[in-house]
Amino acid sequence: MKENGRDPDVNRVATVTGMTGALEDDDVRPGWGPEIDELVRRRRVALEMGGSEAVARQHAKGKWDVRQRLDAMFDPDSFHEVGSLAGTRAPGDVDWDGQLTPSNLVVGSGLVDGRRVVASGDDYSVRNGTSEQAAWRKLGHIEHYAVDMRMPVVRFVDMSGASLSAITDQGYTSIPDPGDWEWLGVLSEVPVATVACGPCPGLGAWRVGASHFSVQVDGIGNVFAAGPPIVRAGIGEVVTAQDLGGSAVHAGHSGVIDNRAVDEGDAVEQVRRFLSYLPSSVHGLPQRAETSDDPDRRDEQLLTLIPRDVRRGYRVQTLLDGVFDHGSVFQIGAGWGRSSVVGLARVDGYPVGYIANDPFRYGGGMDEFAAEKVTRHIDLCNAFHLPIVSLVDQPGTVIGSQAERRGTVRKGLRALAAVEQSTVPWFAVVIRRMFGLGGATQWPVRSSSVKVAWPSARWGSMPVEGGVDALMRRQLAAAEDPDSLRRTMELEFKALGSPLRTAEKFGIHDVIDPRDTRSALSRWVADAYGVLTPGPVRHGHRP
Amino acid sequence: MNMSLNEVRADMTAVVWKIVVAEGARVRAGDEVAVLESMKMEIPVEAHRDGTVTKVFVHEGSSIAEGDPIVEIS
Repeated sequence: MKENGRDPDVNRVATVTGMTGALEDDDVRPGWGPEIDELVRRRRVALEMGGSEAVARQHAKGKWDVRQRLDAMFDPDSFHEVGSLAGTRAPGDVDWDGQLTPSNLVVGSGLVDGRRVVASGDDYSVRNGTSEQAAWRKLGHIEHYAVDMRMPVVRFVDMSGASLSAITDQGYTSIPDPGDWEWLGVLSEVPVATVACGPCPGLGAWRVGASHFSVQVDGIGNVFAAGPPIVRAGIGEVVTAQDLGGSAVHAGHSGVIDNRAVDEGDAVEQVRRFLSYLPSSVHGLPQRAETSDDPDRRDEQLLTLIPRDVRRGYRVQTLLDGVFDHGSVFQIGAGWGRSSVVGLARVDGYPVGYIANDPFRYGGGMDEFAAEKVTRHIDLCNAFHLPIVSLVDQPGTVIGSQAERRGTVRKGLRALAAVEQSTVPWFAVVIRRMFGLGGATQWPVRSSSVKVAWPSARWGSMPVEGGVDALMRRQLAAAEDPDSLRRTMELEFKALGSPLRTAEKFGIHDVIDPRDTRSALSRWVADAYGVLTPGPVRHGHRP
Repeated sequence: MNMSLNEVRADMTAVVWKIVVAEGARVRAGDEVAVLESMKMEIPVEAHRDGTVTKVFVHEGSSIAEGDPIVEIS
């Protein structure tokens, strides 16, 4: 209803102001006591979230409420909320001390392991996670603040999808752009870690997926472009929320999410761990940590790790534990793109990124998911000035019609582009195989990259086994005893394939005793940290 | 897709190199039930649960794709 020809919202502000004046006449306390009392009351209301019943419903689903999440994330008593006064009134409520429903996004900053970090967390107990305008403004503000003040961002996402009633209340439909939320720019400035701890439909999936590290909580995190009712209406598929977008789907297959967590405490710990390897922004450098591990430790297991039988695999974790500081290996994306193994670790206390391969998954070959995982990881390391350790056992791009239909070659080329565009120092050790396009993605060609090999290393445009059959078909067909000829040829190629032959031409910088890998890395990493340069990089992070 | 929780499925395109268990065998979670060959490597396939092998879906030399059942353990 319009009064005096003015917009009703403007009238509402005028009414509130008028009532404040009336209250001053009745209250005999000096100064601004009544207003301070009202501030205190409103902040208390915000702490009550959606009310005791709604919070109990949240807990009954096995979920923490937003305040528990922030308490777990931040060092004790260090979180300072911004915007706790924001919220919505019931239509027609014009009292100056009227009933306000808190905003369903809590934002603020605090200390995580002593370092300043900003966070946002959805409050699903308010209107079942349906968003409102203040929430959007708060998100825009706090992430701009993080960028300008150079602090990491953490997001806890637990929200509803688009709401028809919100459109009715608003009176118009919005263009679907991110507005004040500078989701892409933030990725090239500060670390962004996200937790999917409830429904994350549409915009929620965007907020979780557009990050450097995401973790999804088993059983309660659901990430999708649209939830089951819309999927059913749109394409007729009947599917549960967990089967559509649970952690087994996204952290166990698609790679939309990096890691899964068994519960919310595990998720918070993984975020804390991830942030510990990174600087607070691209304008700083990763921090060296204390370590009791000897930089020249020789792990005897490395001598026998690689079987002489080229068809037999080995545990990649033994390799990682043998070269990096004790307890420092943090794997990212263990459940998807599994033929590539990537993560963060430390060498003599210095944080590094690593890429390796799992021989038990396509022999370590690069499929489309593995290529995507490597691309993102190189972008991450490059943006935040983490030197890269490449432990190579890469038989090549995964072959076959399924791989071709999935565009594996282009995904591999994108990985190769990320490798070549990186400017951080690289140290590569060829553990075993290095073949073809997949092999080429294991280090950049620039000549300051250190490239050494174990005696078990073999490389080339294709492996000898099978290669003889494919390339010498005519000679084999013409031979009296093709099997004998094949064996002779394979032995000849194997002798030529010794890494020592390549080292004679300085095609590889050195062939080393596997047990000396750690000491070689320790010497290099100190040099690498001497040349790291803070600042934004030319090629920012692609989510 | 009708996915039985009792089935051990291939998680990559491969050839069945060896079948290690026969129908009726008792297995424990983590026991090797078959060995696949992919990208010239032997890839062990492990039982996901304790139980009895009630069906073997593949033969040595079978080509299998991601998601194909290998054995059923009940």
